[in-house]
Amino acid sequence: MAVETNTVVTVEGNNIPVTNPEKLLWPEMNITKLLYLEKLAGLSPYLLTYCRNRYLTTIRYPHGIHGHSFYQKNCPEPIPPFVHTKLWNGVNYINLDNLSTLIWLGNLACLEFHPSFHYIGDELPVEWLIDIDPSVDNEPRIMQAALLVGELLDSMRIRSIPKTSGATGIQIYVPIRRGYTFQQLRKIGHFIGSYLSEKHPRLFTIERLKKKRGTLIYFDYLQHWSGKTLSAPYTPRARPSATVSTPLTWEEVELHPDPRDFTLLNIERRLKEKGDLIRQVPPQNLDNVLSVLS
Amino acid sequence: MHTIWKGAISFGLVHVPVKMFAATEEKDIHMKYIHRECATPLRYVRKCPTCDKEVEWEEISRGYEYEPGKLVLFEKDDLDQLAGEANKEIRILDFVDLKEIDPIYFKKTYYLSPGETGANAYSLLLESMRQTGKIGIANVSIRSKGSLAAIRVIENCIAMETIFYPDEIRAVDQVPNLPEKAEVNEKELTMAKMLIDHLTRPFEPEKYKDEYRESLLNAIEQKIAGKEVQVAPEQKKTNVIDLMAALQASLEAVGSEPAKADKPAGKAKSKTARKAKETVS
Repeated sequence: MAVETNTVVTVEGNNIPVTNPEKLLWPEMNITKLLYLEKLAGLSPYLLTYCRNRYLTTIRYPHGIHGHSFYQKNCPEPIPPFVHTKLWNGVNYINLDNLSTLIWLGNLACLEFHPSFHYIGDELPVEWLIDIDPSVDNEPRIMQAALLVGELLDSMRIRSIPKTSGATGIQIYVPIRRGYTFQQLRKIGHFIGSYLSEKHPRLFTIERLKKKRGTLIYFDYLQHWSGKTLSAPYTPRARPSATVSTPLTWEEVELHPDPRDFTLLNIERRLKEKGDLIRQVPPQNLDNVLSVLS
Repeated sequence: MHTIWKGAISFGLVHVPVKMFAATEEKDIHMKYIHRECATPLRYVRKCPTCDKEVEWEEISRGYEYEPGKLVLFEKDDLDQLAGEANKEIRILDFVDLKEIDPIYFKKTYYLSPGETGANAYSLLLESMRQTGKIGIANVSIRSKGSLAAIRVIENCIAMETIFYPDEIRAVDQVPNLPEKAEVNEKELTMAKMLIDHLTRPFEPEKYKDEYRESLLNAIEQKIAGKEVQVAPEQKKTNVIDLMAALQASLEAVGSEPAKADKPAGKAKSKTARKAKETVS
């Protein structure tokens, strides 16, 4: 289906222009803009779940992943009628709550989606996320590190879902009951981070300054905070392999998979088989942990 | 000794490079302020009462209160600029007799050694000052502050005493209740003068000891030996490991939630025996 000229797609009754449909956004994987929009549509039920009603930050690559990129928080104008926005701290944030908006953003070469941790108008976090960030590219111990975190959480009676960040790290997603504050979660995060960096000093660090981390894997519990963001579950990433931030099972993590194996091209099949792994874990109760830590 | 400043003495066309060292060192025993309850040394914070928060150094400027509650503000950079360029110089203005300078003027003493070059100039200055017995009064600019100083000879070293500016010396006639022309009994005066003569010795400073410091050091030794030593609670460190163990134990006591399907199965080195629990599904 070689379309050379600009075209229009109709989504939910909305006509959305598609400019430069043949532009290669992920050249190594041969993914054009049009193909990207197709894949985005397939991802949308999952991606929208984690972006809906939040303040969105997106990263745009107008010339593909090897061209220059920039963060977009303020909604680009002109704003179509189906796009919902919310003003917060002087920024007119996009609320990515429907497929039309997603396609519209995709056409603008928004390749990555990073929503806030709290809902619009709310102050409490929706979920808890810990970022496990290697200091070296191709860190062979990253999966082992993730397993240690998962096991530790498990020993604290906290179930979690690991997901590839789509880049080099792993993120641990903990569904929580509503009511915990960022402060409380950060306290637990700090406790776990301190424990891990002491128990496994050659593997983990909680050192904030990058230059002091050496080759240790950074247990980042600080990124989870009001106003900050992490890559959403199921967001594509602007990496040569066209990776997608993919939730995994712990069994899969034990096999030390390569994050580059989870891409825009195979994510749909995986989702058909496994569904949303995050949804399969109920919200966790952290009361006992918090009371011991206080 | 550690060099605290490098510069040069100058007067007229004479230029003597020197290095400066502190000549004195206080030996006070320093104690820390401790919170009695937990024996932790106190930490001091700079806090703003209006904003009710701790203030970092970058957020601090300076103010001069010219009237109660009224301030004119300065930044450190403004003040540095006012001080002008530090030109690393001890500029001798005049020479005077040591006897003419009352000890009340002296602030702090520094030793000066010859700088990298100019050992000859140094020796020359030293000798000439020693033989004439004169003291140099100089302007010194160290860092960005200017000071008045006296340059003199101590044994075979040139020394510098920073001295107070005259308006920094309080006039002795301001002291209250000083007797004016008191009547003194002749006999008592004679006896007092004899007593002074009797106690007159050459000045031997080593004879005098800091008794308070000695008895304090003794008391400290006693406490250490008697093991009355208080250890400040170690912040975090080993506590984390213990706390985690305590947490895991308390959660077991509370009763674990039924084990579900997908859990990390302990293949990555774990001490807790989780395998047994996992079979409960």
